[in-house]
Amino acid sequence: MIEELRKKAEELLKNDTVKVVFGYGEGSVPERTRPVFITKPEDVNKLTWNKYCVYNLTTYLKRQETRKLGKPAIIVKGCDARTIIVLLKECQIKREDVYILGVTCDGVGDPLATKCESCDVHTPRIYDDLVGEKKENKEVPFEERYAELDEYEKLGEKEKWEFWQKQFSKCIKCYACSNMCPLCFCDRCIVEKNQPQWIDSSAHARGNLSWNVTRAYHLAGRCINCEECQRVCPVDIPLNLLNKKLAKEAEKNFDYRPGYSVDDELAMSTYKEEDSQEFFK
Amino acid sequence: MEKLLNKNKFDTLIAGLKKQGYKTVAPKKDNRLVTLEEVQDASEISLDHVITNNSIKEFFFPKTEKILSYTLDKNKVEMEEPKGFAVKSVIFGTRPCDAFSLPVMDKVFNWDCSDKFWVERREAITIVTISCDKSDSYCFCTSVGLAPDAKQGSDVLLTKISNDEYLVETVTEKGENLVKEMESVFSDPPGTPDRQVATVEEKFDLKKIKPWLDDNFEHDVWDEFSNKCIGCGACTFVCPTCHCFDIVDECTMTKGDRVKNWDGCQFTMFTMHTSGHNPRSTQGMRWRQRIMHKFKYYVEKFDSTLCVGCGRCSRVCPADMNISEMLELIETEAGK
Amino acid sequence: MDNIYRPYLMTISDMTDEAPGVRTFRLNFSDEEEGKNFKFQTGQFGLYSVFGAGESTFCIASSPTREDYIECTFREAGRVTKALRELNVGDTIGFRGPYGNVFPIDKWEGKNLVFVAGGIALPPLRSVIWNCLDLRDKYKDVTIIYGAKTVDDLVYKNELKEWEARDDINLVTTVDPGGETPEWTGKVGFVPTVVEEAAPDSNDTIAIVCGPPIMIKFTLPVLEKLGFKHDKVYTTLENRMKCGLGKCGRCNIGCTYVCKEGPVFTAEEISKMPDEF
Ligand SMILES: Cc1cc2nc3c(=O)[nH]c(=O)nc-3n(C[C@H](O)[C@H](O)[C@H](O)COP(=O)(O)OP(=O)(O)OC[C@H]3O[C@@H](n4cnc5c(N)ncnc54)[C@H](O)[C@@H]3O)c2cc1C
Ligand code: SF4
Ligand code: SF4
Ligand code: SF4
Ligand code: SF4
Ligand code: SF4
Ligand code: FES
Repeated sequence: MIEELRKKAEELLKNDTVKVVFGYGEGSVPERTRPVFITKPEDVNKLTWNKYCVYNLTTYLKRQETRKLGKPAIIVKGCDARTIIVLLKECQIKREDVYILGVTCDGVGDPLATKCESCDVHTPRIYDDLVGEKKENKEVPFEERYAELDEYEKLGEKEKWEFWQKQFSKCIKCYACSNMCPLCFCDRCIVEKNQPQWIDSSAHARGNLSWNVTRAYHLAGRCINCEECQRVCPVDIPLNLLNKKLAKEAEKNFDYRPGYSVDDELAMSTYKEEDSQEFFK
Repeated sequence: MEKLLNKNKFDTLIAGLKKQGYKTVAPKKDNRLVTLEEVQDASEISLDHVITNNSIKEFFFPKTEKILSYTLDKNKVEMEEPKGFAVKSVIFGTRPCDAFSLPVMDKVFNWDCSDKFWVERREAITIVTISCDKSDSYCFCTSVGLAPDAKQGSDVLLTKISNDEYLVETVTEKGENLVKEMESVFSDPPGTPDRQVATVEEKFDLKKIKPWLDDNFEHDVWDEFSNKCIGCGACTFVCPTCHCFDIVDECTMTKGDRVKNWDGCQFTMFTMHTSGHNPRSTQGMRWRQRIMHKFKYYVEKFDSTLCVGCGRCSRVCPADMNISEMLELIETEAGK
Repeated sequence: MDNIYRPYLMTISDMTDEAPGVRTFRLNFSDEEEGKNFKFQTGQFGLYSVFGAGESTFCIASSPTREDYIECTFREAGRVTKALRELNVGDTIGFRGPYGNVFPIDKWEGKNLVFVAGGIALPPLRSVIWNCLDLRDKYKDVTIIYGAKTVDDLVYKNELKEWEARDDINLVTTVDPGGETPEWTGKVGFVPTVVEEAAPDSNDTIAIVCGPPIMIKFTLPVLEKLGFKHDKVYTTLENRMKCGLGKCGRCNIGCTYVCKEGPVFTAEEISKMPDEF
């Protein structure tokens, strides 16, 4: 599969379909990979593919430094491809501006990432070209998809509050979570605005609570659960639990799951006459 | 002064410290992390790690702290000094690289004028370091002039000499006093202790780094190496020697605090003028600042490298930016 | 040990609107004793704070020769400056300073002085201008070239009139093309061009230039053409600052902490710095 990937990348660069390939390269230790940006056909050997390819490379579609490199081909797993769908729907990228090099995937991470346990996109749902053998995308039942919430949902209100208080108290406000998130693409994040100061910039209880909750809310109905935010959090806050909970609520209330189709209607920005909420009308 | 400390005395030691009015901070395991935290007794202490996830920095320069409080009443302002921030403590079981970060940071917090929030905590806290008996591939203390059993910055240094024994060496008067205070837990050291110290490979030659930096403010390597960097604050916040901060006010209608918060040069906003003009407008420039500050600017200004080789920045980097790899690259470039 | 972040309390004793969005405060020490002991030199700056909104960096816009108060002139730009504008005479603000280095006016004695300022950058120059004017007989010819976008945007309008009326100052004012009014009697054109036209004699002359980075960029070559040596040209840099004390790590350009070794630099010093401002 690695060879096939390299060959595709080489072709795309050689025939000038794209200027750069966003892919995975060898990391600083064997248990890691790292994002690489291949601009020359002779460098395609730097591309790799293995179970450590956890990154959701679509985050580099938002960064000026990597945008500067020219039209990209981007290597995406099924989950990452869901991000592309959201980015397209939210008008962050144009379809013709990215070449999507999908890879079929059996799961990444060691141990296997939680998201992979209930994966229903082993084969990306959007791509220009596919590398790897096509796999069936089996529908996973609702309960199974949100199984990681089971323990958490058993907690009482007070326990939940205490749980998050403890978790958020660790936050150092490094913003790795939002910087890594491909769907946190605002030029100026709400935490960087001070007129008014919506969120205290201090990493104390109040500031951390408002930051983490706001971040999660801004991703509600949008987050595709790539788990990148949780992976990069240096203090190990289970952000995924929060995102998953909101995703579950969004699905329950709006029957919506982001990133499955370019033709559906976004949960958070579609107005409907028959909306059940009175204040909308 | 040299002594011997048996692991089975940790209990008595921590209890004794508590009795003497010390707060004790030590490595504690919590899920996937090992963090330096306050402990109540020795059973909480975990010593089976390479290095703690958090650095020693936060005990001297917390992620957020009040530097002034005030009350507001119409146009009358009353200011109040923060108190009680320097608590008599012992940090037990930190690593030599972390300990060395303290004298390195003393320089910036004391040149010209002194930051009392740093200085008073420095005075109140005693550092009992444990030499590293293992390392990982991110460690590079030996490349920045340190060693897994370096003493600089510690008040007391413990080095493993058998499965449950540590050689105790006092480094400063403060350390000596602490050992005297806790005399009963220590015994006399063996004549020729077998010091179990990790080996850490020297990755680059520090002498070659600065001359290259002197000449290469403009170089393609800055952009090329950093294009995967996502511009977060993880590397600078976990770093024991990064000391940049922000000052902000937080208040209600009647009272407020001025607080000092960690900040870092990898954020876009760090240097941005209110007008929107940004002297460091790309991640390449910001990455260059990080390397330059640590291996050139600080050296010129304070005669010390602003990096102790702990490897934390590389371990946490979401994009696997590896600082020693960058320095190895510089060494290669310098040899060209 | 003293808290280096603790500000003085100052009372706003007077305020003047200089131009749209630009205001000057005259400030007196709330504690007289502190006021008596306070000394600064021209070129220095401070951190002014609105309790509850935060701190902001401005130069001290008054001259050290006026001893019983200090003044600052600020443009409403962000959070702190907005909060400052909401204050009135009698209100209290915080002030930390004086910080940074100074204009070496002693070294300039016996020389001609040319001041060049653009936009809201007159405040730092105003301090040194008044300082030199209060010691007028120590200097030879004094030329002031000042430009703004529009007539309305010129700050210190009263002082400009005062300077214009004096025969020991050569004042040239200019506004950008399109910024003039029918009554405007000054020049029309960008500062660098006007400097070239005015062609001040570079012989035995010190030039002091303050303005937005773009103006400085284009003015320095003009001065060079007129024969000004780099070490005879002074300017100030405005990097984002937080502590003003060489601690917070924000203001550096290469090895230079602008808050400690600056904000006053010669063009010579600046030419040796990495291009990061
Ligand atoms: C040496 C020097 C002298 C100067 N002299 C003058 C002068 O005489 N007159 C003048 O008008 N100007 C002067 N300036 C410029 C002046 O300091 C700035 O224009 C002013 O500080 C910005 O105003 P603000 O604080 O209202 O802006 P804001 O941008 O709102 O800043 C408010 C505070 O919040 C912080 N902040 C801002 N944005 C963010 C964000 N996105 N996230 C988190 N925190 C943020 C800021 O650092 C600041 O402390 C000078 C600057 C320097 C360095
Ligand atoms: S919030 Fe986290 S899991 Fe969701 S899209 Fe962003 S990075 Fe991925
Ligand atoms: S990555 Fe973790 S520590 Fe950093 S801001 Fe996000 S939640 Fe906080
Ligand atoms: S080097 Fe890594 S940790 Fe540091 S800012 Fe870049 S991505 Fe974040
Ligand atoms: S720069 Fe990295 S390796 Fe050096 S002291 Fe900081 S965290 Fe440790
Ligand atoms: S490397 Fe960056 S964050 Fe760290 S001390 Fe230097 S300027 Fe500050
Ligand atoms: S303003 Fe803080 S170091 Fe210069």
